[in-house]
Amino acid sequence: MSKPGLLQSVIANIAAPWRRPPSTWNAGELESPDPERRGRSLFRLARTKMREGDIDEALRLFDQALEALPDFADAVAIKAELLDMKGRSEEAVPFYERSRRLWAEQRAGAPDRSYVFRQHGRFTFEVEAYELALARIRTGSFPLFACGNALLAQGHAVEALLCYERAQKLRPDNLDIKAMRGEALSLQGRFKDAVEAFDQALAALPKAPETLNGRAIANAALGRLEAANADWRRQLELLPAHQSDARGYVALRLADYALALPALEDAARRHPEDAYLQLYRLLAARRLDPAHRAEAAAEPRDWPEALMAFHAGGLTADGILERAGTPDRQAEAAFHFGIAALGTDREAAVRHFREVVQSGRAALVEYGAARNELLRL
Amino acid sequence: MFSVIIYGRNDSHGYNLHKRAAISFNALAEVMSDPDDEILFVDYNTPDDHPTFPEAIHDTLTEKAKKHMRILRVRPEQHAHLKSKTHLVALESQSRNVALRRSNPRNRWILYTNTDMLLVSRNPKESLSEILGSVPDGFYQIPRFELPEMLWEAAFDRRDPAGNLAKLRDWSVRFHLNQIVHNYMPMKYDALGDFQAVLREDMFAIHGFDETMILGWHCDSNLAARMALYRGRVDTLIDKAFGYHCDHTRVAAANNKGRKTRMNDHDKYIWDVTTPYLPAQAESWGWPDLEIEEIRLDRETSYERFTKGLSQVMPPSPVPFTSTSIEWHLFDDLSYDLNHTLPFACDQVLTYPRDTNIMVVASRPDFLSRFAGAWRGMGFSGSILVPSESAMTIDDPSIEQGKFAEQLRKTDLFVFEFGLISQKLEDPVRTGREINAADKRQLKLVEKLFREAASTEGDTRPVGRRTPRRFIGVNVIYNKYWPVFTDYVGANINPFCSQVLAGLPLPPESKTDKIFKFRKRA
Repeated sequence: MSKPGLLQSVIANIAAPWRRPPSTWNAGELESPDPERRGRSLFRLARTKMREGDIDEALRLFDQALEALPDFADAVAIKAELLDMKGRSEEAVPFYERSRRLWAEQRAGAPDRSYVFRQHGRFTFEVEAYELALARIRTGSFPLFACGNALLAQGHAVEALLCYERAQKLRPDNLDIKAMRGEALSLQGRFKDAVEAFDQALAALPKAPETLNGRAIANAALGRLEAANADWRRQLELLPAHQSDARGYVALRLADYALALPALEDAARRHPEDAYLQLYRLLAARRLDPAHRAEAAAEPRDWPEALMAFHAGGLTADGILERAGTPDRQAEAAFHFGIAALGTDREAAVRHFREVVQSGRAALVEYGAARNELLRL
Repeated sequence: MFSVIIYGRNDSHGYNLHKRAAISFNALAEVMSDPDDEILFVDYNTPDDHPTFPEAIHDTLTEKAKKHMRILRVRPEQHAHLKSKTHLVALESQSRNVALRRSNPRNRWILYTNTDMLLVSRNPKESLSEILGSVPDGFYQIPRFELPEMLWEAAFDRRDPAGNLAKLRDWSVRFHLNQIVHNYMPMKYDALGDFQAVLREDMFAIHGFDETMILGWHCDSNLAARMALYRGRVDTLIDKAFGYHCDHTRVAAANNKGRKTRMNDHDKYIWDVTTPYLPAQAESWGWPDLEIEEIRLDRETSYERFTKGLSQVMPPSPVPFTSTSIEWHLFDDLSYDLNHTLPFACDQVLTYPRDTNIMVVASRPDFLSRFAGAWRGMGFSGSILVPSESAMTIDDPSIEQGKFAEQLRKTDLFVFEFGLISQKLEDPVRTGREINAADKRQLKLVEKLFREAASTEGDTRPVGRRTPRRFIGVNVIYNKYWPVFTDYVGANINPFCSQVLAGLPLPPESKTDKIFKFRKRA
């Protein structure tokens, strides 16, 4: 092989990962009847075309991805950038705005849990970008760890766990990876394994509020409420006053409404756009004073405003159940029914709280609170 | 709406720093439209006897820049515990965290950038405050576009930020400046540290910048990695604003030694990051318990303080000029014009912290009383320490008299004045005046105390102090006290007219030096 030939082959090897679709990309999914799979696959192919410099083809594929998934913010954002780069800046403006709006509209997770669960979205761009980085960064744990986080945030616990385990091989003593393995195991329902992973992380770093929360949730799921409450109390000790939203959530899990109310009032004042904070503030106030009623919109737009309307007397339990279209919402609704029933019908309250524990996810705020309510009742 | 955080020191970091920085400060202020917006400049480790960097270039700044700027001064003494651990004189993480801790809590955003950046909103009618006010929570970056050195140096007017931003809009097209340099995630772009907009709340949650990064470089990438974990995404504001960097590679900056550049470990701080948090510094980041001086350019300026202090103790000169002489036969005449000398003495202290305790050992009572008046007038709150051994009693309640040995332990700054106790304010200067017995007695006391203070400086510092204390000598040029003073103090050669020398104590002479000096004399 001549010298230029050798050089060309070396350069080609370096550049190849940029032009190749990521190794996890499955061409067959382009035809998938599942719009989610089809949309993501089109997105990844479009990214490859972008890197090849075929902008027009990339734009066409992004459009197809958006046909499959109209709320695909990642695709909207990159489409905007491509239009802008082609000089069609005015055309790009609404796409930029739309991508931000789509991301902003996604509900943030519970503020007392790991930061990963506060993120929502498809993270297709991120997963693909980290996979690309992995082609070059073979000894660093960040791309694997970040990729695992992106998958975990979407609820893909099995795939996330694989990423964490690969990262752990690179950094066997890393406590953050151990803690996040615990979260992935917990999400799979492997609570005993999760507690073990959390134990390892907390043994070396006991002042980790989010890891304590993770262990508490896993222990609560295993029925070890005393251990769970001990971790939540410890988390409360560690959380600074300015993290009032997180403090309010932890206090709710403990069903300690006197502690929760001032924290939730402060958090709701600082984040008036967060409907759950408003709801939980109302919930804590009503639990402390059954006569407490809140003003609510006559025609609640969406969840969880519907639950506020229920507490205000504007919606019946049946009306709520009509709107509770997911298992999580049904568990949330059952808890609120239980709170409403406490003053008048203790048995009904117990029934509702049991329903939460039997059918709700352990990570729900209402799950911990229901378990603690049942303990008292 | 937002606090811009930048840092630097009064030195010459890279080519034509003064122009780059003035252009940048003024341009940053120009895109602010909310009264809460602020430019937080952390002046890190500028020597105590220098003004801060923005003070040094204040005349090139617009009124708007002065209004929005808050200067947070980190003293060499506050940096001293890190000095042996780094080759750098200004530390990025520490600087940015000091500012973050003290930023306006009403502001939603923190914008990290540098002192050579110009931010241009794509819609000329939209300010950066409006842009940041309109976007959802997130972690935003924009790509950096380079500006050839000739363009900013030759064509920009420091005090015309609006004109400069308009020029940039034109040049970006004419000279094809806008090229995005993509980078691996989590960095997203190359040179990302020139625009990183983060929620203030998020920065507090992740405990600021990593303060173990003290070797320079990659602080921005580390932040990107941690924020990418925390938020899940790195967003762009490329549709809203472009960022231009005043290229300055004609002369390499102090932290750029080509392939020999020392830097923070790339792998440790980027590719092995596995948490957004820094629990080890959760309580200490940004030095929350340390009192950091704040300086404004729109009020209580150094000049205003200087004028106020001196106007309280001396009237304007009634004559067009006065005279003195350095002719050889006047070498032993220690008379000097106090009103002329006092401004030069005050000039030496003005940049020190206001709570500085200063020891003044003087021969002339009128020097002590006037200096004390000026000291208070300049806004100092620290004590004026006068050793009882100096035999100087002044009826001034602000003067603290005490034993020399005890006062040495409280002193931050020394002034030794070698004049004639017999000289009155109206007496002629340098006319061949002879020294009387009282003068001799007093000068002997001052000299003795000076030698003792200077030779024991390292052993007598206040508890916890690491940096050496400065000595100011008054009336120590071209007379017999010049060699006395400079035997102990590393002072420059100054013009006679100022009468004042100052410097840090010299290290004690080694035996070899003494022998060498003796042989040279022989």
